[in-house]
Amino acid sequence: MNEQIATFHTHLGAIRFHKILKELGDPAVMMPVPRKLSASCGTCVKFSRPFEEGWVDEDLEGVYAVKDGGFEQIFFNDEEEE
Amino acid sequence: MKKFRTHLPILITGSLVGVISILLVLWGNPANMGFCIACFLRDIAGALGMHRAEAVQYIRPEIIGLVLGSMIMAMMNKEFKVRGGSSPVTRFLLGGFMMVGALMFLGCPLRMVIRLGGGDLNAIFGLVGFALGIFVGTLFLKKGFTLKKSYSQTKVEGLAIGVVNVGLLALLIAAPAFVFFSKEGPGSMHAPIAVALIAGLVVGALAQKTRFCMAGGIRDSIMLKDFHLLLGFVALLVTILVGNLIVSGFDLGRGLKVGFADQPIAHTDGLWNALGMVLVGFTAVLLGGCPMRQLVLAGSGNSDSTVTVLGMVAGAAICHNFGLASSAAGPTMAGKIAVGVGLVVVAVIGFVNTKKV
Repeated sequence: MNEQIATFHTHLGAIRFHKILKELGDPAVMMPVPRKLSASCGTCVKFSRPFEEGWVDEDLEGVYAVKDGGFEQIFFNDEEEE
Repeated sequence: MKKFRTHLPILITGSLVGVISILLVLWGNPANMGFCIACFLRDIAGALGMHRAEAVQYIRPEIIGLVLGSMIMAMMNKEFKVRGGSSPVTRFLLGGFMMVGALMFLGCPLRMVIRLGGGDLNAIFGLVGFALGIFVGTLFLKKGFTLKKSYSQTKVEGLAIGVVNVGLLALLIAAPAFVFFSKEGPGSMHAPIAVALIAGLVVGALAQKTRFCMAGGIRDSIMLKDFHLLLGFVALLVTILVGNLIVSGFDLGRGLKVGFADQPIAHTDGLWNALGMVLVGFTAVLLGGCPMRQLVLAGSGNSDSTVTVLGMVAGAAICHNFGLASSAAGPTMAGKIAVGVGLVVVAVIGFVNTKKV
């Protein structure tokens, strides 16, 4: 199982991402962000289809591959510094 | 077993917050008010002269500790990230109305649980209202409510709330004549400064580490069928109950007294206890956390939460200046109107910020 977790700046970002994955037939689920990934209490999406950058919007924060109970960052949504 | 291990930190945090709340009352805080974020921010607003309700003016070290404890913990774990700019004005308003609701009920969600554990059955109405408000909030989240993303900011935006709290501590210790300290009433009842400060530091650090939140547990249970945070809520309630039983058993203080009438700093109007907490639950979900969680997030660099806390302080001042806050005698007409207005305003904020999913 190639599990990945996407984290977001907003709950809406998670809903939209979840919807895209669901429409592609992925058994994606929304859940609280694992504490290791964030001190905030947002919602993340766990999915298994290989990650594609076309799914990214500004509300996506990062994508992590789940490996041996740990997380490896595979995508970071670069922000312009204010 | 692995499941239990992931839940252990939140269970310990809930229990420890309970123990500390019981001890703070034994050390001098008002009954059923070991911790209350709404009451304590209101007391601080009073101490600074933002309102002149003489019975509720004191710089509560618990608040200072919560913010600094969270800040220290976040920095130690390299989690102090300064972000903000997610609809700050809207958050200020939501924070203000959150306070209107809390001072209708006479307590934040944390004190609601503490009151419940002290046998104050009025808090059951509060809990029902709180859960209802959270449920309504989750409906908005599901429909696409968003205050939009936050952005990386300069360190000053995140550190400011820490500096302000160090300043408050200095004012508390120096006690200059221009700071108001209650001579009687709840504001005059407090644990020693050092004890209260350490209590706040411990709770702030634990809450930062575990994301302990009174609203988050019910929200996640409803929305994501995830009960992790709710365990903290339950652990707190059970600990407070047991703690109060022990206090009663050893005749150390008020302890557990079950009933509706004559509960400390509470009134018996069930409908308005519930409606006040509907407003708190609703705003908490739109803001992403209960009043305590806002302080903890502010401490860990979230300047949106700092703005929310400032909104709560402003709301508290308005509540007492305009006679919106309830008392043991019950809610006021002005308070009822304000809660009604609050529910409408928050719903409007909910609708206009709901985007297509």
